[in-house]
Amino acid sequence: MLVKVRSIANIGLETIPVDVEVDVASAGFPGFTIVGLASKAVEEAKERVKTAIINSGFEFPPRKITVNLAPADLPKDGSSYDLPIAIGILLASEQLPSIDTNQSLYYGELSLDGTLRPTKGVLLVALHAQQQGITTIYIPEASAKEASIVPEITIIPVVTLKELVIHLAGQSNIAPLPHTPIDETIESFDTLYDISEIAGQEQAKRALIIAAAGGHNLLLWGPPGTGKTMLARALPGILPPLTPKESLEVTRIYSLCGLLSNNQAYIRVRPFRAPHHGVSAAGLIGGGSSPMPGEVSLAHLGVMFLDEMAEFPRSVLESLRQPMEDGVVEIVRAAGHVKYPASFTLVAAINPCPCGYLGHPTKPCSCTPKQINKYRHRISGPILDRIDLWVHVSAMDVEKLTITKPKQRILSSQTAKELVMKARAIQYQRFSRISMYTNSQMRNKEIKQLAHLTPEAEQILKVAAQKFELSARSYFRLIKVARTIADLDASEYILPYHMAEAIQYKQLQ
Amino acid sequence: MNYTTININDLPSLSTIRKLKTLYIMPKTYDKTAFANCIAVVGSRRMTSYGREVIEKIIPHLVMEGKTIVSGFMYGVDQYAHDICIQCGGKTIAVLGWGIAEPFKDTDVLLAKNIIEHEGIILSEWEYQKPSIWTFPLRNRIIVGISQEVIIIEAAEKSGSLITADLAIQMKKPLWAVPGPITSVMSKGTNRLIAEGKARPWIDMSKQHQSSSEHPLVALLAHESLTANELARKTNQPIEQVSADLTILVLSGVIVERNGKYSVQ
Repeated sequence: MLVKVRSIANIGLETIPVDVEVDVASAGFPGFTIVGLASKAVEEAKERVKTAIINSGFEFPPRKITVNLAPADLPKDGSSYDLPIAIGILLASEQLPSIDTNQSLYYGELSLDGTLRPTKGVLLVALHAQQQGITTIYIPEASAKEASIVPEITIIPVVTLKELVIHLAGQSNIAPLPHTPIDETIESFDTLYDISEIAGQEQAKRALIIAAAGGHNLLLWGPPGTGKTMLARALPGILPPLTPKESLEVTRIYSLCGLLSNNQAYIRVRPFRAPHHGVSAAGLIGGGSSPMPGEVSLAHLGVMFLDEMAEFPRSVLESLRQPMEDGVVEIVRAAGHVKYPASFTLVAAINPCPCGYLGHPTKPCSCTPKQINKYRHRISGPILDRIDLWVHVSAMDVEKLTITKPKQRILSSQTAKELVMKARAIQYQRFSRISMYTNSQMRNKEIKQLAHLTPEAEQILKVAAQKFELSARSYFRLIKVARTIADLDASEYILPYHMAEAIQYKQLQ
Repeated sequence: MNYTTININDLPSLSTIRKLKTLYIMPKTYDKTAFANCIAVVGSRRMTSYGREVIEKIIPHLVMEGKTIVSGFMYGVDQYAHDICIQCGGKTIAVLGWGIAEPFKDTDVLLAKNIIEHEGIILSEWEYQKPSIWTFPLRNRIIVGISQEVIIIEAAEKSGSLITADLAIQMKKPLWAVPGPITSVMSKGTNRLIAEGKARPWIDMSKQHQSSSEHPLVALLAHESLTANELARKTNQPIEQVSADLTILVLSGVIVERNGKYSVQ
């Protein structure tokens, strides 16, 4: 008897319907074959399915079983076909009463004892079902939570194969998982690293706020142990939370990589990724024989922190150019051509010199001028040119930290976030007619039209351009930063002191 | 380089000079507004490090006030004044002590090119004239003529700059001299001008600051170099304001930044 069970294949973030056709022949030599460009992981499904069926107390039919994964020309990978194959075999061997399989999707990996294991990409199954008007999805209970943010479908969380068979036979019922709407309140989560915990570094904290408000990339340079990493970690906490639409985008990527924890339905906090400098180009931008998202996509709509940026191989850093320019990465491999979103804020940290102590108040620097020069030229110009804010993070004496008990109001991440959100609202209005969100995305044309630079502010910039020999690119970059500072000040025009502050964050010569 | 002529009647400030009919000027299309607000900054050819420091300090202020720096294009104080003015994005006028058609010396070519490129002006009263002992004092009257004020940076006891000073007194232009160490030969002339009451002493970075007090940040930086963060804490001011102030002070040449620390220049 021939049955057809529906499932899906994920090619990158694109979902393609797959029909799992199972035939249990009435005649022929016993055997089990899977066709339809199945990878090694799918081939191995044979053993898992067979053992799981037997261990669940059913019979594995001693007949010729043929499984076809259609469309046959699409390469299939992963362990998620275990469940549809098992259900297909049970239906075809009439151990399950005939049911309508047209309105449901089956997806999940089986364990040898018949339980379902957490499986990657469950959210994409749910989204596909919603789009295609499929009413029910059967997915592993352990990963079911992430599907629950999708409304209008019935989600059946399955613990074991046996339980599912009883449910399908109508002898008992598995309760469908209720829909979890995305919480839109801001206070619903707290920040891991609050900027009020960082002592001193007022200028760097201010730069964080500017970076968050205008979407600017940020470079922190200074001796080791001055809090560069802590500052970078505090950035997600002052960024506005993901909107429901953004949250779905991020959760999809994390679902595909299987990085959501068991009871997590969706991601609300902006991602923070800090790849080590040993990362490969494929690890950073994505890759693999069937291309998986890299760090840039995992940092989508969040922050990517590159500590010790000068230690990253040049070729790896160069691969960042496309995602930084376009906000997406395109990966081309034999298995196909995949696009992943990768729009992130870059925070980079570098030491002033190889030993790290150049300009330190007490520790001597042991580098020669030649070494220092070489070190600074290690990072490619085009990457540095995309960093708007450069901040010096100075070493502080422990003594000074304790003596100068800040009498000033200490800025908390919550207050900072409110400032950032106000500035973002202004930008949202400014760019309402063009497809931009933040000042950092402005090109020269928009800068000329929308920056509203006062003549006095422009004069200051011109004097600075002469004195510091600024390039044309730095010139426009400083206007963008000044625009964000003016937005934080709710000022329509860039006033001289906005410009003067922006010049503080100019690129190091 | 191409040059053109200009009728002296077009420059009312020079019309009082006897026997001066035309000036040769380059570039051909020059910015007439450069003549509107001029200040002469002149001094000795043998510039000391003190003279150098003074120029670095006061010229950015003059440029910020919108003044054109006029000088004599001679090595030493004159050329350094042109140079710093260009670096600060200001306009400068160089008055040559020789004919405009004479080729520039190797060491002068770069500066001349820079002046023209940055909307500056080079002029002379001669077309073909080799530099000579009498040409330099003569061109001083043009320097003083087009300027509204004159500052002498450094001058020895018998210096060409003192001729400029005398011309300024004759033409009734306000005259300033930068006081120097009494042990320095190159400040004898300027100190004497002050002592004799011929020139007013230039005692601070800019004219406005001649009597007013210093910026509070500068006062803090007088004794030690500090980071922006430390300054914000000491003055109890928000960092954004301190940052903006520091930029302005750096741009006006009052303070310098090195590896994140600020100090008085």
